[in-house]
This record gives sequence, structure tokens and C-alpha cells, in this order.
Amino acid sequence: MTSSTKRKIINKFVLSLSTIFAIIGVAFLFWILFVLLKNGFSALSVNMFVEDGAPPGTEGGGLRHAIVGQLILAVGATVLGVPIGILAGTFVREYGKKSQFADLIRDLSDIMMSAPSIVIGTFVYALLVAPTGGFSGYAGITALAIMMIPIILRTTDDMLGLVPNSLREAAIALGAPKYKMILDVVYLGARVGILTGILLGIARVAGETAPLLFTSFNSNFFETDLAEPIASLTVTMFNYATSPYEDWQSLGWGAALILAGFVLGLNILGRIWLSFHHITRKKILKKRKR
Amino acid sequence: MHNKHSIKEMFFEHLTRFSAILVLFFLSAIFIVLIIKAYPAIHHFGFSFITEQKWAPNFELFGGLPAIYGSFISTLIAMLFAVPVAIGIAIFLSEISPKSLKAPMGVSIELLAAIPSVVYGMWGLFYLAPLMRDVFGGNGLGLFTAGLILAIMILPFISAITRDALNTTPKILKESAYALGATQWDVIKDIMIPYAKAGIVGSVILALGRAFGETMAVTFVMGNSHQIPNSIFAPATSIPSTLANEFSEVDSELYLSSLYFLALILFIISFIIIAFAKFYFLKNKRSRKIKK
Amino acid sequence: MATVDKINEEIDLEVKNFSFRYAGSETNSLKNVSLPIAKNKVTALIGPSGCGKTTLLRSLNRIHDLYHGNKYFGEIKFEGHNILDENEDLIHLRTRIGMIFQKPTAFPMSIYDNVAYGLKLQGVRDHKILDGKVAEALKGGALYDEVKNRLHDDADSLSGGQQQRLCIARAIAVEPEILLFDEPTSALDPISTIAIESLIKSLKDKVTIVIVTHNMQQAQRISDYTAFMYLGELIEFGKTSKIFSNPDEDLTKQYISGKFG
Repeated sequence: MTSSTKRKIINKFVLSLSTIFAIIGVAFLFWILFVLLKNGFSALSVNMFVEDGAPPGTEGGGLRHAIVGQLILAVGATVLGVPIGILAGTFVREYGKKSQFADLIRDLSDIMMSAPSIVIGTFVYALLVAPTGGFSGYAGITALAIMMIPIILRTTDDMLGLVPNSLREAAIALGAPKYKMILDVVYLGARVGILTGILLGIARVAGETAPLLFTSFNSNFFETDLAEPIASLTVTMFNYATSPYEDWQSLGWGAALILAGFVLGLNILGRIWLSFHHITRKKILKKRKR
Repeated sequence: MHNKHSIKEMFFEHLTRFSAILVLFFLSAIFIVLIIKAYPAIHHFGFSFITEQKWAPNFELFGGLPAIYGSFISTLIAMLFAVPVAIGIAIFLSEISPKSLKAPMGVSIELLAAIPSVVYGMWGLFYLAPLMRDVFGGNGLGLFTAGLILAIMILPFISAITRDALNTTPKILKESAYALGATQWDVIKDIMIPYAKAGIVGSVILALGRAFGETMAVTFVMGNSHQIPNSIFAPATSIPSTLANEFSEVDSELYLSSLYFLALILFIISFIIIAFAKFYFLKNKRSRKIKK
Repeated sequence: MATVDKINEEIDLEVKNFSFRYAGSETNSLKNVSLPIAKNKVTALIGPSGCGKTTLLRSLNRIHDLYHGNKYFGEIKFEGHNILDENEDLIHLRTRIGMIFQKPTAFPMSIYDNVAYGLKLQGVRDHKILDGKVAEALKGGALYDEVKNRLHDDADSLSGGQQQRLCIARAIAVEPEILLFDEPTSALDPISTIAIESLIKSLKDKVTIVIVTHNMQQAQRISDYTAFMYLGELIEFGKTSKIFSNPDEDLTKQYISGKFG
């Protein structure tokens, strides 16, 4: 029984190793989380939400400009990207179905979703910044919207797939034309999933820094004019954290906490909402066409 | 009445089709714009851009090798650390962990995958880099530190997908292996991992693509030095961090064009990696269902 | 009290006052079951669903141990010792008591590797020995002629019936003393079912067989002894011919005449 004993020893060894790996990996992840919470909360203050950027070393200075800027960028990207994403998702699921063209669009969306986000920044720079001669909120919104479209497309595709065909047939049987069936019945049936998909999409692009670096750029001032450079939490974080000034670094941690809280909050909300409506990953994957 | 409907029908269908085509349009447009913008550099340097080491904006001399090298090496370091640890976490979550720990630990790992990469980068700058400096000397910046942060960033992603893939192994298949006298590890390596291979390899390749194209997690700690470092503990650069650091400060057309050349190279390599992951996943999707 | 006929055979496994409780359950799923399993015979476990026949079968190789919290009470004796003992070497036990499942469970590997799997686990590495044993097991599983030219094809390419015979070949390759069958034909078509049944009959020269079946005709066709279970209890055990023609218990009579189930 030497082989059996050897196997049992290997078994113990590998399982312990994998437990140790798990502990190490999780320890690192929690270290980051801990650091974020500790530094973030110690930087947090009311001033942070009511004051704008200030030169280093001066009293005060907050993140109001970056928080508002971030919200403007996120809302703008949502307004621009979501309708296109939903319509395109509707096309691949309701019209294109299993056609080669629909599959091509699905594949390209997946590729775009994983494409380096900084490249999208350089693209929008060439398109909107270089010709107009300046960084602008519009450029930032466009960059984020381009990132959002494939995300919304895929979620819409998935969520429409969960709508039972019997609902479509019932609508058609009542004499509804196809567009009516989609607008009145299919969207209604998929509304929870699509709305959650939008939440998760916003969370996803809200955390992006790279595509904003040379589109919306940054600003230390409160700015709502989309034709001007606009601050975002992410770029502000980058600038403050890499600055040599301790008060800026501390504000950077504050920005990190607000950002991570916003992103994780949306994620948790989305999850709870989905599980509340019994929409599971398993169900979605089952209906995936590609 | 009928006519009105058919016009609306046509309008709606074309509107959705147009939106779908926009995806194709954007992807092609990115490609074309990058090529046009990179053209002066392509024309000026040719393919030697890829092998040239000197990056001296003052002398209008641009070589992409240090950035390309940095991207590859930092990604390689990231994968070396992340893959075994992530698979360890996945095995732990699916086979070893007590039931009460599975859900909370699984969910926190999935949530960690959602944390913006800029947060990972900031942690790296303030905590990991000083630690690396104390342990390995130098200033703590460089490819090793960058690779380690990338590893931690992609860890949750690979773990979550690998765990899902391992969990798809039918219970009855595992039981049959145990019934032949297999140990837990025998079952994991001979049954579960082969069964979940497509998902695991797909997620690893996708993570590779993410690490390769990641900007913020690495830019903080690369050190921004345009030469091939003689040690992975010395300052270096990568394509995304070169772009992040220099793009908005260019002062000549050739400089900007060289940066676009780098962006084009990054885009093409990422495109190939992602397309490969997708191709691999599709090819192996052929589901292994237990026959009824 | 159950009627358990004395049998005049060599006993391979002896279940004694055996009870079983699933994790988290407040009641026993098997209650004080005692019966002998005769060597080189086929013993069928029958009864309506939920009667505990599969639970009993899965206790015989302690596959229940894969899930935490399941509890065994009483004794199951195999070659004079109690396999429910805490220190029982389960890996060794399972190489001696094999199992075939409700559905074919081909592993994601080639036909050859499937059959060689158990042998490789035991440390057999010599290719000549493996080749010989794999061929022998496939012949024993009545599959050799159908697959001899494509041993290195993926096992997924086989039909359901062929896969089930592959699983039997895989189980007999390690030369177990006992084989446990858990409704092995419930997922198969009639022709594959006949093939598996004649295979089971031919196997009993070499191994002791315990089979759970929901199909009473199948139990009659292939078994020597039959145990009828109901609500976690053993109601009657005896020669198959007797159980199906002249049972002692009223409950058995009702069940075999199709009054419930």
C-alpha cells in the first residue's frame, strides 16, 4: 500500500498548500481593504464634501469639485451610452439572434470590454481633444460612454434572453407588431435585469482613470461647463497620491474611499436586487448564445 | 393603420441595427485612428521602433523596446504569482472551505474584483513599494512591484471564474472517482480541473489581457524610466504607464505619433490575447453533459 | 419485525443493526437494518422511492463520507471487521468495493485512460501491464470489440449504454471483491439495459454484486437474493424466487403485485 500512502501524503500536502495560498491571497486583499478604510476614514471630513480643491499647504481644500465632476461624467456617459447599448443589445437578441453578424457584434463587444482603457483615451483625444484644442468634459463623457456601450449591450442581450418566449408569443398572438412586443412586453419582462446591468455598468466605468487622463483631464476648480476640463475622483486620486504633499495624499485616500464605496455600493445593491428577483449567473449563462 | 405600424417597425429595427453597427464602427475607428496617428512614427522609424531602446524626446529619438519589455515582464511576473494562488483560492473555495465560509468569502472575492484599479495602484505606492524597498533594496519601484500589484488585482477575477468552473463538475462524476479510491486531490486534478479546463484557461488568458493593458495599478510604481532595467527591482516603464505619464505633455508631432505607435502596439497585442481567449473558450465550450 | 431468511451461502458482507442519519436530519433514514450479502451472488435491493435502498447501498462503500455530518450506527462487517470503524482506510475500502452510478459517469479523458484510471491510482505505471489489464477489463465489460480500434478517443464519444459499460469496465479493472450498482440502467434504452443485465449476470463468477433497482422485473431477471425495504426499514429478505412468488410479509406481497410504489 505504498502508493496509497504516498497519495495520501501528497493529498494532504497539496490541500494544505492550496489553503495556505488562499490565506495569503485573501490576506493581501484584506490588507488593501484595511488600508483603504483606515486612511480613507481618517481623511474623511465634512469639509471634504463642501470645499473644492486648494493649493497644497493651505487650510481647507476638499473634493467637492471632483465628486461633482465624477457624477457629471458618470451621468453623461450613462445618458450617452445606455440607450445605444440597450438598442444594440436588443438587436443581437431580438433581430440578429444566432446570425453570424449578431455573433460578430457579441465577440467585438467582448473584445472592446477587455480592451486597454487607456487606448480608448488616446482614441478620444485624437477625435475630440486635438481638433478642438482642449480637454473637455465632453471628451471624458465620450470615452466612458464608449466603454459602457459593450457592457450594456451584453447585459441587455443576457437579460432579454431570460424573458420566456411564451411572453413574446402571447404578445404576437394578440396582434402586436414586433417592435410593440419588444417595447411593451420584452422590456417590461427584462426591466429588473437591464436596470441592474446599468447600475453595474456605471460602477464599472466610474472606477476608470486611464481613459480620463487626456480627455476630461483634471481641474482643481468646481466646474460644470462640459466644454472645460473637469475633475474626477479617479484622476484627482492619481494626481494627489503622486504629489509630495501630505494633505493632498490624505485627500487622495479620501477620494479612494468615496470612489470604492460608490462602486462597491452599486455592486452590492445590484447583487441584492438580482437575487431578490431570482436572477442568477447560472440562469444567465444557460441562455447565453455566445 | 397597418402601414403606420410597418414604418415604425422598420424604423425600430433599423435603429437597433444601427446601434449594433456602432460597436463595429468604434472598434474599427479606434484601429484606424491609431494607425493614422501613429503613421508619422511608423514612417520615420519603421519596425526598428520595436527593437530600439533609446527614448530621448529632446533628440526626437523614440524607441519602444523598454515600454514593450516592461509590459511583457510585469505581466509575466503577475501571472507567475496570480495563477497558482488564484487556483489555490478556487480549490479552497470549492473543495476545502467549510460550508459556512464559502459564501461570504466567495462574495468578498467577487467584490474585490470590482475595486477600481487606481486603488490598487495607490496601495502599491504607499505600502507595497516601501516594503519592497526594505526587502530588496533600491527605491522599491520597478517591474517586480508592478507585477505583484497586477497579480493581486487579477487574483479575484481568476479565482472567481475558476471556482465557478470547478463547481460545474457534476457531483456524480466526483463520486465515481472517489468510488474508485481516489483522494480529494486526485479528484481535483484528474476530474475537476480537466472538466473545468476551458473556463480556467479562458479566465487566465483574459486576466493576462487585463494585466497587459492595465494602466493605473502599475503607473504609480513603475518608476517611469525609459531603459531596459538590469534588474526587476529597478525603475522601468510599460506601454500604458508611458502613455499615462507623457501623453498630455508632448511637444512635437513625432513624440505624439510615437506614443500613438505604442498605443497601437498595445491595442493589437491586447486584441490578439482577448480574441485568443474567446476562441479558446468557444472551441472548448462543447459541454460535457452527463448523458441522459 | 422483518423476515430475514437464513441463507446457506458464504457471506461477503454482513449488515448488522445498521442505522443511518443524514446531516441536519432529526430522524434516521435507515432503521436497524440487518441482512447478509452472499459471496458471488447478486443481491437486489427493491422498494418504493424514499425507502432507503440507495442510502443503504451508498453506505456499503461509505460514499456518504464525502459530505460532512452524515452518521452511521451499527455494523457492516467485511472480512471480519467493521467498515464503519473510524480508522477505516476509505481509499483502500473503495478499491475493494466498487460502484456504478445511475447515470454513466465517463471521466473527461480517453476511453483507455478511463479504464486505466483506478489502476494508475494504485500505482500501476508499466504500460504493458496497463495495456493488458485495460483490454481485459474492457472484455469483462463487454465493450472491447466496439472500442478496440479507438481506445484513445474521448470517452464522451461513446453512446450512453457504451459509457455505462465503460464505467463497469473501469470498476472491474481494479479487481474489486464487491460491486455496487445504483439503478445502473435507469438512464438507458431497453437494448442497452439488456446488455448491462447480461453483463451483471456474467460478472458474478468473479465478484459479489449488490444492485438497487426500481424495476421489479429486472430484480427477478438478474438477482439471486432480494431485500425489500420500506420507509427506511428492511421488510423482507430471502431468495429472489421466493420473494416474488411467495413472500411472508403482506407489505412485500402488496408491493410486488403493484399495489403501491
